[in-house]
Amino acid sequence: MIKLQNVNKYFYRGEPREVHALKDISLTIDDGEFTLFSGASGCGKTTLLNAIGALDSVNSGKIYLDEKEITSLSEDERTTLRLNEIGFVFQAYNLVPVLSVEENIGFIMKLRGFSDSEIKQRVLEVASMLEIDNKLLSLPHALSGGEQQRVAVARAVASKPKIILADEPTANLDSKNSQKLMDMMRELNIKEGVSILFASHDELVKESVDRVIYLSDGALVNA
Amino acid sequence: MFSFALKNILFYKGRSITTFILTFISAILFIVYVSMMDGSHDSMLKNSLKIYSGAIEIYHKDYRDIGGNEYLIRDVESIEKKLSLVDGVELFSSRYETYGLLSFGDNSMASMVVGIEPKKEEQLTQLKVALVDGEYLKYGSQNCLYIGSGVAKRLKVKIGDEISFIGGASDNSFVADIFMVYGVFKTGLSEFDDSATFVSRDYFDKLMLSKNIASYITVKVKDLDRVDEINSEIIKLLNDENLESLTWKTLMKSMVETMEVDSIFGYISLSLFLVVIFFVIMIYGFINVSSRIKEFGVLRCVGLSKKHIFLLLFYEIFILSTFALILATPIAGYICYYYSINPIVIEGMAEMYKDYGIVSDEIPFSFDIFTISWNISLIYGLNILSIIYPYFYINSFKSIEASRHV
Repeated sequence: MIKLQNVNKYFYRGEPREVHALKDISLTIDDGEFTLFSGASGCGKTTLLNAIGALDSVNSGKIYLDEKEITSLSEDERTTLRLNEIGFVFQAYNLVPVLSVEENIGFIMKLRGFSDSEIKQRVLEVASMLEIDNKLLSLPHALSGGEQQRVAVARAVASKPKIILADEPTANLDSKNSQKLMDMMRELNIKEGVSILFASHDELVKESVDRVIYLSDGALVNA
Repeated sequence: MFSFALKNILFYKGRSITTFILTFISAILFIVYVSMMDGSHDSMLKNSLKIYSGAIEIYHKDYRDIGGNEYLIRDVESIEKKLSLVDGVELFSSRYETYGLLSFGDNSMASMVVGIEPKKEEQLTQLKVALVDGEYLKYGSQNCLYIGSGVAKRLKVKIGDEISFIGGASDNSFVADIFMVYGVFKTGLSEFDDSATFVSRDYFDKLMLSKNIASYITVKVKDLDRVDEINSEIIKLLNDENLESLTWKTLMKSMVETMEVDSIFGYISLSLFLVVIFFVIMIYGFINVSSRIKEFGVLRCVGLSKKHIFLLLFYEIFILSTFALILATPIAGYICYYYSINPIVIEGMAEMYKDYGIVSDEIPFSFDIFTISWNISLIYGLNILSIIYPYFYINSFKSIEASRHV
C-alpha cells in the first residue's frame, strides 16, 4: 500500500520563480492497483510519481510504502529502496546500451544478488510474457521502440518489485504498440499482482487503467 | 560490475582507445624519462670520479685536516698488498702530492705537483683522455711535467718549455728542479686544470725522497653501488687507527651537494610531468563522465548505489590501465635496456658541458627493474586517482536530474 499525507513539493523555494509543484497531496493506493496520474502538462504528475518512487524528496508531508516512511530516508537508503521494491519504466526506455536484452532484463536482479539460474529462469518467463523472448541476445539499439519499451517493462518487473512506476511509457510509441504495451502491463498486473502507477496524458492509458487520479496545478482534483 | 565495465569499454571503443593510448604513451614517456634522468645522474657521478678521484681514498687520519709530511702514509706497499685482497677493488694507485712554486720567465705560481703511476692512472682516471697537447706521461719519464691547461696559460708555457720548480721533500728538505712541459691536459674541472701538474712517480720519488710513501692511495671499485660495503671491508682489513678510508661521498661533498640539487630539480620536473599526466587523464575522464551523466542517472534511478558507480568507474580505468601498462612496460623497458647498452651520443656535448664534469658525449639510460616497477605503480595510482573527481561530479547530480541530462 502507498500512502501520501499532506505532501508538498516546491521548486526554487524562496526564489521569485518559486513553483508549488505538489499541493498538500493526500491519497492511498492499495496493493495491485492499476492507476494513472493524469492531467495537463506541468500539473505535477511526474513530480508525484518521482516522490512516490523515492527519486525526489518532498518539502513537507509523508509518504509511506507499506508501513515504511520513505520521505525521511537518506539518499543511500532511497537507492536501496528503489533497487529492492520499485520498478521504473521511463518514457525514453533508458536501457543500458552495452547490455543485451537478456542482460538488461536481468540487470536489477543481478544487483540484488539473485543467482544466475534464478535470473535466467525469470528473464525467460518475463520475456515470454512480453513477447521479446526471441530478442534476448540483441542489443537495445537493434530493437524497435515498442520492443525497447517492452524490455524496459521486463526489466522493471523481473525482480518482482512491489510497485512499478511508469512515466509516459507510451509517449514514444504508436497507437498499436501503445495498446500492446498496455495489454501486457495489465496482464503483468494481474498475474504478478504488482501495483502499477502511470503518469500520462495518453487517452489510451486512461482507458486501460482501473483508477485515474487527476491533478491540476499540483493539487488533486479527485482521489 | 566488472563484466559491466568490460562491456562498457568494448562498446565505447573511441573513448576506450583514447584512454588506453593516453595511459600507454604516458607510461612509456615517464619510464623512459626517469631512466634517462637516472642514467645521466649515474653517468655524471662516474664521469666525475673518473676524471681524477677514485671511489675511495686512503689517508693518514690527520693528513686532510692538518697536512704536512708527518701525516703521510709511510708503508704504501703493505697497504697495497691488503687492498689487493679486497673483493670489489678493481684498481688502486698511490699518489705523492706536494705544493711548490713553478716559474717560467717572469711568471710564477703555486701549484699542486703530484707524483703518479702513469700506467695505473691511465686506467683509473681520465688524465690521459684529457690530454690536449703534447704527450701523456710514461713510466720513467725524466723531468717531464704534465700540466693543467690553466697552469700552462698562467705560466705562458708550451710543449718543450722548461719550468723551474721549488718545493719541499718528504723529509722537509728543500727541493729544486727543472721540468720540461711534456703534455697539457684539460678535464673541464677548472679549479683542477688551473692548479694541478703531474710527474711520473718513479722520478718524483727520487726527487722527493718519497719511495714507499704516499699522500694518499686512490681506489677504483668494480661496482659503485657497493662502495660503502667495500670501504667497510678496506677499513676492517687495514685495521690501523692512524689511517682513514673515505668514499667519494665524503671526499666530494660539493659534488654530492650538486647531485642533491640536481636530484631536487629532477624530482620537481618529474612532479610536473606527473601532474601533467594526471590532469590529462583526469580531464579526459571528466569529459567522458560528463557525456555519461544521463547514463549514470538512469543507473542510479533503477537502484545502482554510489558504491556501484565508483566500482564501475574503477573497473573501467583499472582494466584500461592494466592493458595499457602491460603493453607499455616491456616496450619502455626495452627502450631503457637498449639505451643503457647503446647510449645516445650527442656529438660535442662533452666539450660543451665540460665545466659540469661531463667527459663523454654519451647519455646512457638506466635500466633498473625496481625503478620501472615504481614508475608503473605511480602511473597506475594516478589513473585510479583520476576517477575521484569525476565520481564526485556524477554524484553532485540528483539521480532524477541526471537521468534527464542532455
